[in-house]
Amino acid sequence: MPTEWKLFADLAERAGDKHVTVDAAAGDTVGDALEALLEATPELEDRVLEDGELRSQINVLRNGTNVLVEEEGMETVLDADDELALFPPVSGG
Amino acid sequence: MHVLGVREAGADDGALESVVDRVVDRLAERGRVGVVRYDATIADGTRARESTTLGGDVTYDLGVDGDWTASGTGMSVGDALESLATDCEYAVVVGVPSLQYPSIAVGSAAAAEREAGETVIAAVDGPGDLDLDALVPALESAEPYQSLASLVARVKRSPRADRAGAIATFTGRVRAKDSADDAPTQYLEFEKYEGVADERMAALETDLETRDGVFEVELYHRTGIVEDGEDIVFVVVLAGHREEAFRTVEDGINRLKDEVPLFKKEVTVEDEFWVHDRP
Repeated sequence: MPTEWKLFADLAERAGDKHVTVDAAAGDTVGDALEALLEATPELEDRVLEDGELRSQINVLRNGTNVLVEEEGMETVLDADDELALFPPVSGG
Repeated sequence: MHVLGVREAGADDGALESVVDRVVDRLAERGRVGVVRYDATIADGTRARESTTLGGDVTYDLGVDGDWTASGTGMSVGDALESLATDCEYAVVVGVPSLQYPSIAVGSAAAAEREAGETVIAAVDGPGDLDLDALVPALESAEPYQSLASLVARVKRSPRADRAGAIATFTGRVRAKDSADDAPTQYLEFEKYEGVADERMAALETDLETRDGVFEVELYHRTGIVEDGEDIVFVVVLAGHREEAFRTVEDGINRLKDEVPLFKKEVTVEDEFWVHDRP
């Protein structure tokens, strides 16, 4: 069961697409899905990771909820049909 | 206010007018409807008969029961929409091609041709082809038009307005320069995380409305291209007294900027960049 990442702002520009589907399913973790994303779009790796860890300014949302703040971070376990989003600091207004 | 364009695409005036009539009748069952007609033959503030308006003036002719007609100079389609937005639920704009709002194209060429940037929600040969039951939800699902005045008018209609002694507002706009030698900004382009951004804004409004003495909070943020000098974001607060109104407006815009997934690209005369890359 594939999972879709939504990418925003410069992350979408680097990846060349706003949507990337990866091979991660219910039971896998957000970290597994991120690893699959970076395999599919290696041009994102330097922008997203620093020394193998997620850069502090990068946000990861699962179904609209920030997994780093309100869930178990990269260990958060995926449910079926989750929507994942990756974006830089927000800059509205 | 929901804005609907109607333009001809090979149809004669009779078919276009019949489509406008039917659409306006249906929308009028649901709320107050404003109609804006673009007619390039209107010049110097006059079209035809009775008006004596000369250039630079505005004339309102008032009748009984608040009925009126008007003529004048210096009003754009955008100005007309802004003036309608305070008390109309719908606006129908006739005869303006490539409008940035949902539109009906009328005529045999309607299915084939598309103006750039236009969202055609119905392409019809004439009034007989209109599916009004499908048209209304398609129109209402599009982003509504809002202005500072329309948001202020909305909070004034609050059931708790009789307790409110203050309205405070914030308007964020496109700043051309941050210093004298800054490269002028031409426009900003905002990308929104569809669905999640709206949820966050609604949750933020609800949260701020739980404060003591705060009755209504409206947040509105445009997306897409917003040009130099145009408004980007509005925060409107209806409150019992000025202290909580001011405080809530400030917290509202600060939290919107921190919490809502919107992304700003700045395009200047020299460069183009994502704003988060240039803190």
